[in-house]
Amino acid sequence: MKTRKRLIALFLLPASLVYLAFFLLPAVWAFYYSFFDWSGFGLNMKFWGVKNYIELFRDPIFRLSLRNTLFILVVGGITVFALAFLLTVLVNSGVKGKKFFRAMIFLPNVIATIALTTLWAFIYNPSFGVLNSFFRVIGWEAGAKFTFTSMDHIFYAMLVALIWIEVGFFLVLLMAGMDKIPAEYYEAAKIEGANQWQMFKGITVPLLWDVISVGTVLWSIFALKVFEFPYAFSQIQPPTTIYTVAMYLYIEGFGKRDPIYRLGYATAIGVVLLLCVVVIVLLLRRLMRREVIQY
Amino acid sequence: MSAEPVVSTQSHLGLRRMDLVKKWAGHIPAYLILGLWSLFTLFIILWIMLSSLKSTRELFADVWALPGKLHFENYVKALFAADLELYFLNSLAVVLTSVVVILALSAPASYILSRKKFKGSNLITLLFIAGIGIPFPLLFIPLFVILTGLAINNTLIGLGVLFVALSLPFTVYMLTSFFGSLPVELEEAAIIDGASDFQVFFRVMLPLALPGLITAAIFNFIGLWNEYQLALVFLNNPNLSTLSLGLYSLSNGMEYTGDWAGLLAGVVIVMIPTIILYVVLSEKMISGITMGAVKA
Repeated sequence: MKTRKRLIALFLLPASLVYLAFFLLPAVWAFYYSFFDWSGFGLNMKFWGVKNYIELFRDPIFRLSLRNTLFILVVGGITVFALAFLLTVLVNSGVKGKKFFRAMIFLPNVIATIALTTLWAFIYNPSFGVLNSFFRVIGWEAGAKFTFTSMDHIFYAMLVALIWIEVGFFLVLLMAGMDKIPAEYYEAAKIEGANQWQMFKGITVPLLWDVISVGTVLWSIFALKVFEFPYAFSQIQPPTTIYTVAMYLYIEGFGKRDPIYRLGYATAIGVVLLLCVVVIVLLLRRLMRREVIQY
Repeated sequence: MSAEPVVSTQSHLGLRRMDLVKKWAGHIPAYLILGLWSLFTLFIILWIMLSSLKSTRELFADVWALPGKLHFENYVKALFAADLELYFLNSLAVVLTSVVVILALSAPASYILSRKKFKGSNLITLLFIAGIGIPFPLLFIPLFVILTGLAINNTLIGLGVLFVALSLPFTVYMLTSFFGSLPVELEEAAIIDGASDFQVFFRVMLPLALPGLITAAIFNFIGLWNEYQLALVFLNNPNLSTLSLGLYSLSNGMEYTGDWAGLLAGVVIVMIPTIILYVVLSEKMISGITMGAVKA
């Protein structure tokens, strides 16, 4: 018994201590900071109560960032899942080179964000980019003059690229789940005369429900904290129209041109972000709770 | 070939061919969509690689043309004039060390959490997994204070500590489910043979878990190699930059330097290690995603 305790301590403590000191405690500590007005490291903190939070909900830039983030979460999420499902069904429809297609569709996920944003900068470039050149060739004037990276469009242009990357991740997830559905189910359904859509609705979705619900949770967490891709996509000074909550937090806390940082305010943004994650994950768990089908 | 039964007559063959044609025709939309999607990705990667060998002038004269002469000096410039060689070494050092430490910490912890349940072990597992849902940006300011207090802010060691801490939740999540899926018989046999707990772990469980550990290592390597957010927040000294961060600065400097060819060479330099890993080990990498999410 004694050796067992020693084993547990020796094996579990190092990871737990690092995790506690550099993850869990800072997370709790963040709540404390969010009640202060604090304009820089080494400067005095002023207790501020909930003023940061009150200001946050009146801050038009914060509202815009929140709107953008929720747009990525919902509209981006639906698109990613629809495409991932479509491609999964196609890859599994008996075509040759299943593993090749899966590997290709997943590929953007292993490439550095900066590499991807540089590339999309060339795709969207108004003077020599592939899209505008293409529209020019087919003689579509309005299309040829369209600026994908203007203030009004940059967010949507970014989202398209982001979706292209993320589809691969969820394709892999769905494919793994689908591989475990016994082929006999589909054969039996075919004998009964079911069509593709009926099989998808009657077999695939119910048996994949576990994977789908894990997938939606993973997507929500990803979407709520998305920073790297939109931030690099918009180069040095991103227009506020592309802000996500995590971008606004970073810019308020660290990334301003003029070094007037608002550390308490930035942390309050982080707290709201965490609350969003908690609420949305709990909501999803409730909405998606179904009897798990054992097979 | 000769084993083919002789009974198959002409009409049989004709029918079979019809079926094949029909089967193929049915697959055309699938091949078309999957083919276009894959081609787009492939095209993009080849385009970056080819363009990185053009001069900036050639690049802007016609972005989609093939390079006339191969300008390998773009790479020399990116590596030595833009210091990417230094950043490459920084990244290699901090990422490799972090991956080793992540595994050294998470493998034993995951083993305990999945195989040696005790009172409160489920709560600890839950706390680890909850970390997946905590958005990193929330931690930035407290972490800044902690790292400054420990005098490791703005150092590669400090960045490495964060890499390790922030990678623990997903790695523990992956490895607990992997250890959980291993058969108990070997473990039991070793205990009956009188092996100590430590011997069971190091001689029996660790070798069995090797595929899972390799997957976790690749997964973390690629993620940390590509990440630039933590480096952006916690590193201010340009000499300490990681490769991703260095490339980010390079791309931001574009409006002043205009050296697009050099930037594209930098992009290739940052992409190559992960793409090679992926080409060699894509199955392992892909299985990593599903290790935790899809129960075996």
